[in-house]
Formats: sequence, C-alpha cells, structure tokens
Amino acid sequence: MTSSPSDTGTTTDPLQQFADGVAASVGGEAVIEFGTVKVRVPASEWVSALTKARDELGLVFFSWLSAVDWASEVEVGDPYPEAVEDRYELLATVADLSEGRRVVFSTDIHKSAPSIASLVEVYAGANWHEREAHEMFGIEFDGHPNLAHLYLPDSFLGHPLRKSFPLLSREVKPWPGTVDVEAMPGGEDEEAPEGPSEENPEA
Amino acid sequence: MIDQDLVRHLSESSVSVELETEEMTLNIGPQHPSTHGVLRLVARVEGERAFDVQPVIGYMHRGYEKLSEVRTYPQVTTLVNRIDWVSGYANEIPFIVAAERILGLEVPERAQYIRLILTEMARISSHLIFMASYPLELGAATPLFFALRERERVLDLLEGVTGGRFHPNFNRIGGVKPAYGSGSSTRKVIQDLPEGFLAETREAMDKVLEAAEEIEALVAGNEIILARTKGVGVLPAEVAASYGVSGPNLRASGVRFDLRKVEDYLPYDRFDFEIPIGENGDCWDRWHVRLLEIRQSVRIVQQAIDGIPSGPLQAKVPKVIKVPQGETYVRAENPKGEMGYYLISNGNQGPYRLKIRSASFSNISILPWILEGVLIPDIIAIMGSLDFVLGDVDR
Amino acid sequence: MIEFLTDLFSNFWVSLAGKLLIVALMIPLVGMVIGFAEMKLSAKMQARVGPYFAGGRWGWAQLIADGVKFFQKEDLIPERADRNVFKVAPILVLISTVGLLVVIPFGPDIIFRDLSVGVFYALAISSLSTVGILMAGWSSANKYSLMGGLRAAAQLIAYELPLVLAVIGSVILAGTMSMTGIVEAQIEAGYPYVILQFLGFGIFIIAALAELSRIPFDMPIAESELVMGYLTEYSGFRFLFFFLAEFANMFSLSAIAVTLFLGGYWLPGIPEDVLAYAGPVIVIGKTFLLVFMMIWFRWTFPRFREDQLQSLAWKWLVPIALVNILVTGAFKVFL
Repeated sequence: MTSSPSDTGTTTDPLQQFADGVAASVGGEAVIEFGTVKVRVPASEWVSALTKARDELGLVFFSWLSAVDWASEVEVGDPYPEAVEDRYELLATVADLSEGRRVVFSTDIHKSAPSIASLVEVYAGANWHEREAHEMFGIEFDGHPNLAHLYLPDSFLGHPLRKSFPLLSREVKPWPGTVDVEAMPGGEDEEAPEGPSEENPEA
Repeated sequence: MIDQDLVRHLSESSVSVELETEEMTLNIGPQHPSTHGVLRLVARVEGERAFDVQPVIGYMHRGYEKLSEVRTYPQVTTLVNRIDWVSGYANEIPFIVAAERILGLEVPERAQYIRLILTEMARISSHLIFMASYPLELGAATPLFFALRERERVLDLLEGVTGGRFHPNFNRIGGVKPAYGSGSSTRKVIQDLPEGFLAETREAMDKVLEAAEEIEALVAGNEIILARTKGVGVLPAEVAASYGVSGPNLRASGVRFDLRKVEDYLPYDRFDFEIPIGENGDCWDRWHVRLLEIRQSVRIVQQAIDGIPSGPLQAKVPKVIKVPQGETYVRAENPKGEMGYYLISNGNQGPYRLKIRSASFSNISILPWILEGVLIPDIIAIMGSLDFVLGDVDR
Repeated sequence: MIEFLTDLFSNFWVSLAGKLLIVALMIPLVGMVIGFAEMKLSAKMQARVGPYFAGGRWGWAQLIADGVKFFQKEDLIPERADRNVFKVAPILVLISTVGLLVVIPFGPDIIFRDLSVGVFYALAISSLSTVGILMAGWSSANKYSLMGGLRAAAQLIAYELPLVLAVIGSVILAGTMSMTGIVEAQIEAGYPYVILQFLGFGIFIIAALAELSRIPFDMPIAESELVMGYLTEYSGFRFLFFFLAEFANMFSLSAIAVTLFLGGYWLPGIPEDVLAYAGPVIVIGKTFLLVFMMIWFRWTFPRFREDQLQSLAWKWLVPIALVNILVTGAFKVFL
C-alpha cells in the first residue's frame, strides 16, 4: 500500500504521520513503500538531512548505505518494465533504538559525475558502507578518509554492481533457462491434496 | 625522531636483527584458528600491545547481490541461507517476508508459527556455537563438547523437518514447504510436519536448558574467565549505534532493544519473553547476554509448540510467481544482529536489486575502534565475543 | 647367580651403563603412559571416549602409534631458520628432564645418584629447559614463534623464583638438601611435610604448572592465538622430543613435589624392609595423583593473559613464599 505525499490531509495512520514529520523536518518528500518510510532529499542536502535525523529525530542507529543503478539497458537480469531515468539512487537507512522506527533516506546522483559528500562525520559506521558503494558502483564520496577496495582485490577493474557490468559466467556459458519452479499445491493444474486412504496407503 | 622508513624496514626484515621492542606488523589470519573464517587483521604491535588494527575482508565475497539479479525468488532463497551459515534458517525469513509484503500475501498462521519455531531453533543453534567456541579461544577446551552435543539435537530436528542441517531452503513465498509423498509422480501432501516433531522438540528444549545450566556452572563463575573478559573490550552504546552494531552486542552495552518486539515479520507479539541486557558492554556481558537469550528462545519455542494452530502451510500462490513492482525494506532479529533485505522488484520472477544488510558486516566495522591499544590476547577475546561469521561479513 | 650380578654391578662402569639405560627407557615410557592418561582422562571429562581403536578396546597403543608416526615424518627445517640452534633446542629440553630424574629417590637406596645438594641441583637443571625454549622460539624465523619464545622467557623466569622459594620451607624443616635426607626426615618426623608446608606445596604446584607451560599458564603455546607459539615450526621427531619432554617433565616435577612434601616412598605403617620393594610403587602412585590433578586443571581452566600471569607471580606467589620461609624458620628455631 503506497500512499502519495499529496494526500496529507488528516490521517490517523501513525506511520504516515511519522513519515510526514520526518519529511517536514529534513525538507524532503516522504513515501511509504509497503510499510517502509522512504524520504527523498536533494543531493545537496544529503549530509544536513541525515545530521538532522540523528540529532532532532533520534534516529541514531546507522543501519546501512548502498546504491541502486537505475538503467534502461541492463547486461544481467531483466530490465525495469517502465522506462527509468538513468541515475544512481543512494539509499541510507537509519533507525532509532527505542520504538524501532526506521527511515530510508534516498537521493539521486548523476551517472556522469557520481559524487556526493561523505557521511563519515555524521555516522561512523558509514565508513565501510561507503567503501563498498564506491567499489561496487564507482560513486565518489568526498571527505571519506580511505576509499580503498573492501572486498575485491586491489587490481580489480570495473564496478561490479553496475547494471552495465556483465556476469562473466553468463558470457561464457548461456543460462540454461528458467528452471521450472516446483508445483504449488492447489494450483490450476493440481487437484486438491489427498492424504493416504484405505486402498492407497502410500498415497 | 625515529626515521619512519627505517622503522618500517626493520619491522619487515627477518628476525635476526637485534631484539628490541620495535614496532612489528603482525598478520593475524586469514588462516588462523580464531578468526571465525577467513578474516585477516593487519596489526601493528609494539611488544604485546597493538595500536593500529585494520581488518581485511573479502576473502569470502561471493557476489550475492549481483547473483540475485539473475535468479528467481526461490533460487535466491537458496543463496541467501548461505550468508550466516551457522543460523541458516533465519536468513531466509526477512527476504521471503519482503517478497510477500510486495505481493500483499497473507501467510497462514500455522506457517508463521512453524517459521517462528525454526527461527528460534536457529538462534539457539547459533548461540550454542558461540558458547562452544568462545571459551575455546580463551583456552578452556571443555565447554565445546557440552554445547555442541546439545546443538546436535537441535540440528537433527531441523534436518528432520527441512531436510538440511545448515541450509534448510524451507521457506516458500506464501508459507513453508510441505512434505510431499515419495515418488516423483505423486505430488500429494502427506503431512506437514514429521510425526513426533513437536514432542521431540519439547524434549530437546529441556535438554538445551540443562546444557545451558551446565555451561553456566562451568564458565560463569570461573575466575580466570572473569579476569579475561571483565572490563575487556568495553563498547559504549553511542559508539555501537553510530557504527551499526546490533543484536546481542548492542544489548550487552545496555540498550534494551530487540527487533522481535518492534517489527512484525513473525508473530512474536503473541509470546511472552524478556530482553536480557548487559551493564558494561564488555566481553563478559556479551557472553552472558547470549546465554540468557538461549533461555528466552527456549521459552518462546515452548509457548509456540503449545499454541500452534492447524491449517494450511502455504497460501494459494500460482505456479510461477512474479512479484509486482515495488520496493521495501524488511529487517529481522538474526542471532548475530539485524539482518535486513531491501528488495526492489520489477514484476518479473527475480529481483531487480537486492541489498543485503548483514549483521556481522557492521559488527566488525567496529574492530579498528575497539582494538586500539589492546593486548594481543585481548584481540582474540574481543573478536570472539563479537560473534561474527565470515559469510555474513562478505556475502 | 645373585652373587655374579651383584659383583658385576658393583663395577662402576657397568652400573653406570645400567643406570643410563634405565633413565633412557624411562623417559619415553613415562611420557607415553602419561600422554595416554591425558588423552583418556580429557576424553572422560569432555563426554568423549578417547583413543579406542589402536591396540584393542582401550586404545593403549595410541601413543606408540603416534610415536612411530612422528618418527617417519619428513624433517622440515624452515629455510631462514638457524639450523644448529633449531636442532639443539629440543635436546636441551630433554636433557633437563632426564637430569631431574636422576635425583628422585624411589626407595631407601633406590636412587640414581644421591647428591648432597639434591634440591639445589634439581632446581638448577629444571631451569635449563627455559634456554631450550628460547632457542626454539628464536631460531624458527617466524614472528609467531618469536612471540611465543619471548612470552615463554618472561613466564618461565618469573616463575622460577616461586618454585625455588617454595621448597626452602621443606629444606629448613629437614635440615638437609639431599633428597633422600628429606624423605628420611619426614619418616623420622612421622608426618609428610605438606601438613606444615601447605602454602609451599600450593605454590610449588602452581609454579610447576607454569614451568611446564600447561594451561592455565600456556601463553607461550596459546594455540588459539599464536598457532603453536615457539613450537610452530617443529614437526616430526623434533616435535616428539618436545612432546615427550613435556609429559616426562610433568612426572619429574610431580615426583619432586612428592619427595619434598608428600613423604616420598614412605607410607605410614609400612615397615622398612617392605619399603625397599614397595617404595617405587608408592612413589609412582603418589606422582600419578599429582599428575592427574595437573591434567584436571588443564581441561577445566582457560588461560591467563601474560600480564595477569606476571602479576600473579610477582605480587602474590613471591611474597607468600617469603612469608612461608620466615614462619618456617621461626618455627624451626623456637620449637
């Protein structure tokens, strides 16, 4: 159940109220995606929004930071069914430690010059997450002390999680095709399940 | 001032230079009895004190996030329970729940109870491994056997239900997998849980409680263990929160916060259980919190077995499942900490992007901070108390 | 026949050869028996069975099999190691163990050599193993071994002092440093010295555990941290020497404790002439009791950290031992 930010009105849904409160506080737009509060902020407000989240909204727990590569043409997997604007979407999730409220902050970064200010001063845990995002997507974080490779060998070239990065095993050998998932009980060509009966004890 | 180049040269040259306490660069791992896998710590030590410890990870990186983009949802389940292999079942749950949320599926009650029981058994199994391996790192070899003996019971039960001790693959979108009849042509459901599973689980839980008593008697009052763990590796709650340390490590620092009480991925609100916390945030508290959590998990399992409803094991789902467009984040209380999946689906049979938030990755990002100025035996004690698994770190 | 044998063995060289043979055989035998006891006892404490298949149901041939296995392994010496020092190190440790066995009285006249400064000699030669361990750690050309060797040096030197001070109480009470003399003094007094010297006995056992580098004092080996400490690069029969030396040393140090504190080959109520035959059995029995205690400690406790180890030695054991000497001396003078 998604709700658009336009019907603010009088809503008694506590989650919606919380989302609107966050959006008003940091100056962004709030959306609720299937129970997850997502607040979009412009890239220039990234650090200040998260600083406000930590200081004013009590969201002191840094959960994770990563990125999504929105691309219309993909080398692996299936593309998005509608046309998407090519960009990197940076996501950072922070939460509080009393009621379990969590917010996913998101901002867009241009693919041509992917760089944004680093969150290391705000949340110390962003250090490793930003290193991973840099390594996997090629996003530059200004102000990060050590953007070295985290998982991959130092000599590795390329940014693996970009949609333009192919999976080598798929290039070498074609995918055998979608394996048929096992039959579900009560599906269209399945009868209702019967247990063991007198004549047929092994069912 | 000492010439830095000379110091570096001396510290890397062979041992036959004169023996003064110079700085030495010590590599702990990746092959080492105590690093829980292939973790490498590059420690600069002076005598017995380390002053700059940098973890080097990535020896176990399998690229799950990329792989999940080319798999269907049931196939991703098989990938995902290999992340934290010690508590295999618990890794699948948040992912499946995320897919079910986007689909808007209602999971039958019996399936939810079964998921809950198996998750708590996975938690007991993971904490028992910790009980076994942590005293071993400190030098006491005996609790290993007591803890692992009980863990075998739990793993046997898990195998009886799911078919796998470590990688159950038991979840399906919409519920759990029922047991089918023998022979590939008859796809008729015989029974949902193996006969006697619930009774045996009840017995096993009693045995686990006894083992927890035994281990507590052996380890908790031992002066040497107290001397090795009290006051060692103190982690203040604010530092833990800003680094993203979660789970028993956070609770040992005094934060009474458990995702089972605030998130609704499984029906924990129907059960009565406490959240144990520690006082100082040292290694002793992290050990003690996990011991108390074993007892709380046993309590939950006993209540769940008593109250399990009957019903179908899986909601009605089509044969080939396509999850409509949408994105959501679901997080769960894994034995190691907070495990979450940010799932972006594009209406096809597999995810468009799956971000896996694993607990141990954030838990060990604190190592450079916490290992500053610490003696080498304490490095081992602190690392062990954080209870991480490399599959969880590297994905 | 008996006369022929006594005449033969009264020849110095023949009896020397005989004694050397017995001592040489004792080390592997004692090492194997105690090693086997450790395997079985630790198994019982850990809900396991222990060696089961080698040699019938009790698995008694396990250590023989292990010995043969070690002997037929390749002799590996690391390339950058100091070859001569590397080879000599295990031999030094074995020498110290053998040397200890020489002054242990197994019966009224059954001793390899009764030195009038027996206690002094025993303590001196037991510290030779420290040199051997340092040599092993240094010559291995491996940072882990070096750290293990350094830890060993610090620990062994620190615990030499309590070891020495603890026995002085018994020497004062007996009035002699000869090992047989101390046992005879206990026989005369009618009670084993542990009753008065319980502090000394306790300190001696703790210091002996530290000298043996056994848990709770096995920082130098610290398996879960330093792989094997100073033993990391040793394999094959060199490792076997260290391995046997550790168990034989357990026996030797326990035998010294038995002699100095527990009455040696004497049990109350056994007449003198029986002691000549029963003596060795009694000594070995008491020694194995102490060895059992040491094995029990090893599998129950974790290990101390280096600084905790040192503070235990310097801040606790040495002052208590000094107080013990003072009180014993006062007791001896005024009573």
